[in-house]
Amino acid sequence: MQIRVKCSCGESNCPEWAVVELQGMVEVQSQFQDRLHNLHIGLLCRPSASSQDQTYTFTVGYHELTGTKQPLKKPLLVLRKLKPSRDAGVELEVIGIIRHRILFNTRPMALISKPQPAVKKNKGSEQIAAQFNSVP
Amino acid sequence: MEPPSPDCNGAEAVLNLKPSSSIPITYHPLFGPHDDLILLELDQKLLPDVLHQRVTIRGQPDEDAVLCTESKTYAIKSVGTSNSVFLIPPSSQFNYFESPICCDENYHDPQSVASVIKIATGNMELVEVAPRLDKLRSLLFENPYRFEEDVEMVDLEEMEGKNTGLYSWDDLIEKVQASDDELRTGLQAFSAVEIYGYWRIVDEKYMDRILRMLLHNSVLNDWSLSCLNEDDVVNALESDGFPHKLANHCLHVYGSKVIEGVSTSSIWKLDERKVCVHFARDILRDGNRKMERFMEDWARKVPEGMPASLDMLEGEVLIEKLGAETWIRAFSVSSLPYNPAERFSVLFKERPKWEWKDLHPYISDLRVPGLSAEGLLLKYTRRTQPTADAEPVFSIR
Repeated sequence: MQIRVKCSCGESNCPEWAVVELQGMVEVQSQFQDRLHNLHIGLLCRPSASSQDQTYTFTVGYHELTGTKQPLKKPLLVLRKLKPSRDAGVELEVIGIIRHRILFNTRPMALISKPQPAVKKNKGSEQIAAQFNSVP
Repeated sequence: MEPPSPDCNGAEAVLNLKPSSSIPITYHPLFGPHDDLILLELDQKLLPDVLHQRVTIRGQPDEDAVLCTESKTYAIKSVGTSNSVFLIPPSSQFNYFESPICCDENYHDPQSVASVIKIATGNMELVEVAPRLDKLRSLLFENPYRFEEDVEMVDLEEMEGKNTGLYSWDDLIEKVQASDDELRTGLQAFSAVEIYGYWRIVDEKYMDRILRMLLHNSVLNDWSLSCLNEDDVVNALESDGFPHKLANHCLHVYGSKVIEGVSTSSIWKLDERKVCVHFARDILRDGNRKMERFMEDWARKVPEGMPASLDMLEGEVLIEKLGAETWIRAFSVSSLPYNPAERFSVLFKERPKWEWKDLHPYISDLRVPGLSAEGLLLKYTRRTQPTADAEPVFSIR
């Protein structure tokens, strides 16, 4: 059998997806297990003021990860499996491309007691980090 | 710290995150396992092929899928990762009715978030492989075209009824894991011909009949075998009762075109090696022969003026000394598997030890992407060389 790989976007305007990659897992507190949707995971920051600096931080709860944005040596295509109708065979469609990832491969740094994000005065991030970790 | 602009959302917001700014990452309203989303890693140079819809995935349910471009075949390998790979689609995709709103009502800018649709557990990657031509061969050999088929003059409708073992181009690309180009080359290598819409190989005995008739006609009409007029040859064979297609096929199998005819007929030259090999195979079909007897028979069978010499039979015969006698028997590289492991296994079953000059013709057609001829030998054979100037001998690894 033969599966044609379809692509409606063409070469120049294939939508680019973003990837945030970290080592290990993000554990969701048990009371949120069944209502993940819209749940806040963390705050992605680009702390440096320099446009050359590709350093990023990712604050998840009381943990802060430091990483960099890097281009992928080989791009990743996002394919979606389609089954147009019961009789038709499976089709694959290219729906996006991934050319970069923001990789956090360092050990998380604990933000003890008082979270101090790398970027100061970030009210939003503090509140959300607290929300994610504390039981309402 | 500047908040991201409100219209910037999803993947764009992450990719274009300005220095000294931040964006909350959330689970998407449609977050889930999304098994229908697959990541495929591929070489930059293959991108245009995929984006211009020139690739297909081929294979039967019981085979490992391969991806084919127009000219090459790639195995699809699944690679897992222990990292958490958060996939964030652009805002235009996976649009949810309500725009994703952060669960924290205190958050002042609910518009600007990037949400994760899926955590990828790995991706697919491509490894170039040789086309699976052994399958093509076995399909073609299911139902070779025989002389009887012409005599019976089966009409097309009747053929539809009993077309077991008959494959059209479309059937072949459904069944054989090879790119279009590789499949075409494979069909040519097996001397297949398209007859009534099906790709067939022609039974050797039938080919023998046509070739003998062609040679016979050449003698009768005083044609030169190195300057055969296509129209004359084909017309003569047709009046002898052979279908046009097969008369033409005979020229393709045993000859080469010297002059492409534009308004006139094309000119063909019979290939001495191909014709001589044909007759050698014909003699050895029923089993091995003593060398002297074989050479006599062979010289008698080949057309006059064609010098039959043993080096034409490289990759076609094995010669063995038994006491004072030398015997020759058919062992054709074209009948051996293309899969290198199977090829070497057959070879070492045939002979436990091979000298390089004997082995070479039986492996020179093997193409394994990413593995040189030396690499193949290292992987599948053991090389021994009793003394520094002795011929190396290859045995099973």
